[in-house]
Amino acid sequence: MKIAVMSCIHGNYEALETVLRDIDEQKAEKIFCLGDLVGYGPFPSNVVEMIRSLDIPTVQGCWDEDIVEGINSCECSYPSVLAERRGKFVHEWTNQHIYDETREYLAELPKTMVEGNMAFVHGSPQSQHEYLLPELNGFIALERVLSTGADILFCGHTHVPYVRSLDGAELQVRVMTGVESLTAESKSFNAPLKRIVNVGSVGEPRHGRPNATYVIYDTNSDRVTLKEVEYDYKKTCAAIIERGLPAIFAWRLARGMEYAERADDASHLCERGV
Amino acid sequence: MSSILQNAQVTVLAGASGIGKTSLIRGLIQQNTSGRILYFCPSSGTVPIDSTQIQIEFPHVQIITEGQELELIEAVGKGADAYIELGFHLDLRSGDNLLQALSEYPTQRIAIVPTGLKCSEWHEWATEVQISEMIADLNQIQHIQMWRSPCTGQMFDPSSLNVIWYELTQGAYGDVCRCKGIFDLPDGRSFYVDFVKGNPDSLYLPLHLPRWLDGRPIRFSGIEVMGRNLDGSAIAQAITDSCLTDDVIAQYQQQIKQSLSIAA
Repeated sequence: MKIAVMSCIHGNYEALETVLRDIDEQKAEKIFCLGDLVGYGPFPSNVVEMIRSLDIPTVQGCWDEDIVEGINSCECSYPSVLAERRGKFVHEWTNQHIYDETREYLAELPKTMVEGNMAFVHGSPQSQHEYLLPELNGFIALERVLSTGADILFCGHTHVPYVRSLDGAELQVRVMTGVESLTAESKSFNAPLKRIVNVGSVGEPRHGRPNATYVIYDTNSDRVTLKEVEYDYKKTCAAIIERGLPAIFAWRLARGMEYAERADDASHLCERGV
Repeated sequence: MSSILQNAQVTVLAGASGIGKTSLIRGLIQQNTSGRILYFCPSSGTVPIDSTQIQIEFPHVQIITEGQELELIEAVGKGADAYIELGFHLDLRSGDNLLQALSEYPTQRIAIVPTGLKCSEWHEWATEVQISEMIADLNQIQHIQMWRSPCTGQMFDPSSLNVIWYELTQGAYGDVCRCKGIFDLPDGRSFYVDFVKGNPDSLYLPLHLPRWLDGRPIRFSGIEVMGRNLDGSAIAQAITDSCLTDDVIAQYQQQIKQSLSIAA
């Protein structure tokens, strides 16, 4: 079975429509969405309506959570004071441009979905805010996959797609038994091949081009295909300006640059939302 | 350099933005071993970036500001050498009255022009024309707007300054051909940053000033942007959003003081 996995649409309706058409052409039988339907882009409610109307199984992203519960971004999210102020401005904008019904839908989204040997999260199984960067320590990366019980973990949040295989790993754990005894028992076990697949971003790419990215996964052949789709990003840029979002976002979208948030530090483990 | 230049008591420079007027003046000042030296950059107003840089590099040079022209004339009368830099945005005849008053002293008018430019008002005005490596691009020379703002008292978040500088120089706020500024950073240092379109990199130069570690700096900082279709309000917003609050400045300054005392 072919499945499509997409994430981080961020109110970019134009990109979502194009990606859905492309998924249709790929003859994917099921679509999963890894959240961040809203935030930054000009059409947050329209995006949510589209996802709901197609009944696409969706997990809650960090922006979806923040719009419901108030901003909860970690200091690791923003690379500068300027980016943080821009992020907070657009959070407020989104807050004002979203319907109550949309907010209710976002509030009810699960943080994790598991189907067969596949798990779906926004940031990591730990938190919607945590970035699983490709350089993350291998042990921690493996722990994150194992915590879901799945073999393949689909995530988003970084907006840069990648596939990381974690194979041949041997885990060693020291277990302290008894309160008074300081002796520890070592246990080790081998983990079979695990994978992390970051599906990139539909609506706010950060890979240096304005194109949308998503993933097709063939469960029969176990093949992951990263897809990059061109769409009329100029329409979204125009809408950003028309709807009163900062014009600089249009400039940055056209160059495939982050609007505000960007993670650089693979060693930082975000504790927000845990 | 010609012998006339060495003998000139009053040197006036003009040319396009980013062509090297201030650099040439700095070179001339460095070679000048005579007594009193003055520098005047008319219409720099509340954003005297070049004057500030020259003052820091050459503390013995007296900076003349608007309204102090008489002092300049008197000093030249007593044997001082004066360097006058006419910004690209000024009419070349705007300095005529001052030059008329200085006409009895050996004066040199130097125009720096781009390679390939054979005939211009600079050629007509100058007594000496120097050719810059900058290639003549009339679009870059003509119809240039200027946007500038003092930033005195502000401290910039370094990462934000990098973002703004990237956006400015890559065209986010209009077609920028030149951008320069002096910025205070929370570690107490002050930087001169300079971009000229066509050059691969911006210049980042730490200024020889004492670290400012007590509250908001009471010394000049500011930015000047030259180009076409400039979005001044968006630039101003980005600058405002890049400055640190009092609390954060205090926090930084305390950390820097501690680390400096540990190092000492």
